[in-house]
Amino acid sequence: MDAIHLLLFSVLLFGLNALAALALNPFQRVARVASGLWGALASGVGVLAALQAFTHAPTPLELSDPFHFGQFILQLDGLSALMAGMISVLGLASSVYSISYLGQYAQRPIGVLSFFTNAFIALMLLLVAVGNAFYFLIFWEMMTLASYFLVIFEDEKKESLQAGYLYMLVAHAGAALIMLAFFIFYWSAGNFDFAAFRQSQLSPTSRSLIFLLAFFGFGAKAGIAPLHIWMPGAYAATPSHAASLLSSVMKATAVYGLLRFCVDLLGTPEVWWGGVVLFFGALSTGLGVFYALTERDLKRMLAYSSVEHVGLILLGIGTGMIGFATHQPLVTLLGFLAALYHLLNHSFFKGLLFLGAGALDYRLHTRNLNAMGGLARRMPWTAVAFLIGALALAAIPPLNGFVSEWFIYQALFTGGSGPGFFVRAVLPLCILLLALAGALAAMVAVKMYGGAFSGPARSEQAAQALESPNAMLAGMLILATGCLALGLGAPLLTPYLAQVVIGAFNLPPALLAEGIWVYPGAMEQALLSPPLIAILWLGLFSVPVAIVALYGGYKSTSRVVDAPWACGYGYSNPMSVSASSFDQPIVVTFSGVYTLRTLLRRLLAVVGVTAGRLRPGLARAESWIESVLRPPTTRTIEYLGQRIQALQMGDIRVYCLYIVFTLALLLITVFSRG
Amino acid sequence: MFSIRLLLMGLLQALALLALAPLLSGFARVWRAKMHNRRGPSLFQNYRDLVKLMKRQEVFSAQASWVFRATPYIVLAAMLLAAAFIPLGITESPLGWMGDLILVIYLFALARFFFALSGLEAGNTFGGIGARRELLMAALVEPVMLLTLFVMALLAGSTHLGVISAKVASGAIPYYTSVWLGMLAFAFAAFVEMGKLPFDLAEAEQELQEGPLAEYSGRSLALMKWGLYLKQAVIVTLFLAVFLPFGSLTPPLPAGWTLVFATLMALAAFLLKVMAFYFIAAVLENAMARVRFLKASAVTWASLGAAMLAFVFYLANV
Repeated sequence: MDAIHLLLFSVLLFGLNALAALALNPFQRVARVASGLWGALASGVGVLAALQAFTHAPTPLELSDPFHFGQFILQLDGLSALMAGMISVLGLASSVYSISYLGQYAQRPIGVLSFFTNAFIALMLLLVAVGNAFYFLIFWEMMTLASYFLVIFEDEKKESLQAGYLYMLVAHAGAALIMLAFFIFYWSAGNFDFAAFRQSQLSPTSRSLIFLLAFFGFGAKAGIAPLHIWMPGAYAATPSHAASLLSSVMKATAVYGLLRFCVDLLGTPEVWWGGVVLFFGALSTGLGVFYALTERDLKRMLAYSSVEHVGLILLGIGTGMIGFATHQPLVTLLGFLAALYHLLNHSFFKGLLFLGAGALDYRLHTRNLNAMGGLARRMPWTAVAFLIGALALAAIPPLNGFVSEWFIYQALFTGGSGPGFFVRAVLPLCILLLALAGALAAMVAVKMYGGAFSGPARSEQAAQALESPNAMLAGMLILATGCLALGLGAPLLTPYLAQVVIGAFNLPPALLAEGIWVYPGAMEQALLSPPLIAILWLGLFSVPVAIVALYGGYKSTSRVVDAPWACGYGYSNPMSVSASSFDQPIVVTFSGVYTLRTLLRRLLAVVGVTAGRLRPGLARAESWIESVLRPPTTRTIEYLGQRIQALQMGDIRVYCLYIVFTLALLLITVFSRG
Repeated sequence: MFSIRLLLMGLLQALALLALAPLLSGFARVWRAKMHNRRGPSLFQNYRDLVKLMKRQEVFSAQASWVFRATPYIVLAAMLLAAAFIPLGITESPLGWMGDLILVIYLFALARFFFALSGLEAGNTFGGIGARRELLMAALVEPVMLLTLFVMALLAGSTHLGVISAKVASGAIPYYTSVWLGMLAFAFAAFVEMGKLPFDLAEAEQELQEGPLAEYSGRSLALMKWGLYLKQAVIVTLFLAVFLPFGSLTPPLPAGWTLVFATLMALAAFLLKVMAFYFIAAVLENAMARVRFLKASAVTWASLGAAMLAFVFYLANV
């Protein structure tokens, strides 16, 4: 079967699953098991479709269509196939995980939740495959709507509703910007097809306008600072199996939109566009990591960390755009490759960490790190999976997060050694920021893992927690294996990603990998071999073992004492350093960053109070408007209704006449256009 | 690209540095004592401590998980791996064909991640405080190190440590103002990473750098301490390789007895430079008072400033 047909089949399976889940809603257990397994199957087909598209690039599929301005075209070029593959793998993990995870919602409409989850995945798959902006927008809005219902699933909680409201607000503001961008395109192209967009002749001003509109429109969904405000609340409120999709692949669809419209369809960018992207990338990276550090709600922490990682991805995209604008194919390739690679990696480890946070929530019924602790001994496999995710998040070699950050460094380096004062000054400063963010991200990761899994249990539930159920472990292990594979398999993966970038932006071919090595275009610049590093690192464990054995160290015994040393005082669990006290030195040292937030909050509060004062006035105005405007409007509508009623004579022959009349009108319209 | 000769050279160099590290630390201790008008311990006291600790019984708190037990091995292996990347006595990065300076800095991060995590593992208060301080220092110092290294890399056109070292040694990168400033900033960062006053007392437990060690005992403690000695030596070696590679061998190598002689000369030069660095570190440490930890950033901003100046001078091409 053709890759596109496979993808459609996968979408169909997800759609059927959504409907079946709705029908099975009364049967809790059946609903969650059947829906989870069926979703895994559908995801498997999606993965096959993506793989198929990589080996045999499919021809776009055109479906017949009633509207003249939009053909329903499905296409799977490299970029779309990569996104579809990502969505499918994350869907697979999430579906398997949900089999057990949904068990905690015994009193709730699980079928409805599964309906929205499956519809959400299916819509994302269609979104990345569709080749027409009109349908893109429709799927985009429907996806937002489906995810909105996921956010407000726990609707008895006030914060869920608030988070959902804010999400809806930002998402729609973003969608409005995107819509405007599309209309400017349409204005010149006369058609909503991507192919027509690509060939449209736009003036430089409208090109820049489209770029800005699309950048902020998609940026709102991707969560760039300062448009990230909806993310912490929304991710925290959403059930974790869905939050893992929201934080990973929904973000990926936003980045996809950004790449598709701002780079692919607009063509060669201006240098300052790259500068804008870099600026917001840097802002998101810095603010995201600082705010992540001071959270103690695990899921909010992960959300802020997503802001940071979107910033890193934007640093890659910005570098690529600058390279594109200044006609440096290698910089272009490296920048976009680094961005795509990091997007892929981020999806895996962030998805994994959200599943992990869900597992802790499932057993402990809390997201507060201060109420956890010591879980590595109670939930060993969950701990291992979470540790892999945390290491990847902190870009520790040889995991996947490190490899893609290495590519970002190399892209910035290659771009920064190019001509032009602007790039030579700005890109190395981004390196500085990347280093700072890297060190702080390590602190975030240590705080997350250490707060939850190390030290003594800091609550009753933590002391009695049980290992996660098998299905949840399986979901996490899929993604943990992925994190390892994407890191160690970098030499195999890089050529494919390079192919995607080269294909999407018509670059000359370049080699970035050979054997078990990856390199940034030129081997003299740098070489990296993640598998060799991993082997050598593990091999070097033999040195300390040999030394200890040589000195007879393994002959001595070891014993376990009840409590750690506490200066001779009796130890009690609150003596341990908790998650909230962990970040104290950072808060003191970098107080400026946090003051900024406090100031902004105060500003927002002032705005809120002012709005509150305005409310009585507005209410009066509203009632006045109603009293003045409503009666005539109502009267008009009623009058129109009565007139229209006159058309309904209850005579079948008259209705037939209407049909004939309409048909004739349509025919005239069509022929007059032709 | 794969080269058995370079692989063996790297491993040999890592093991040599491992063997030498306690001696270097002992050297600094002896000089400190002399400046205090104390007699001080023997030059080899660190080795005796390590051997003694190896044989002692290990005590674990019930709160600690496998991460706590595995950390000494993880840290030592990561530091050994980092040691094998750094050009030592020769302007060639032995394992440069599998990683560059970014990898070396992130190997430090790998060691630090587990080092800090082990501080939280046992539930010990000092361990936790040590962990968070360690990570703060990393956040203050790591950007400085990376920026200065990248200025050098931009001058050399490569992030390959061997290439940078060779270009500085051969004079292809002359000592511009930016190189001097970078050297200053990096030396400062290395000094902080070594765990010296005014922020830290590497010898004192319950103190900052050794905070996470509070709960370690027996062979684990020996390995952790050895790992820290090695980390100090690796940082100093990195500094010398990038900023002061003079006296090192440069390929193509001569043959026969000339090679042996040249190698011995290069190693002697390396040892002299390392000892000079440790000596200067000891003097500086003695000349400084202990500073409250949260004031550390005031000093590290200065080093960031130096690194930024190095970058600005690089931009201005002076």
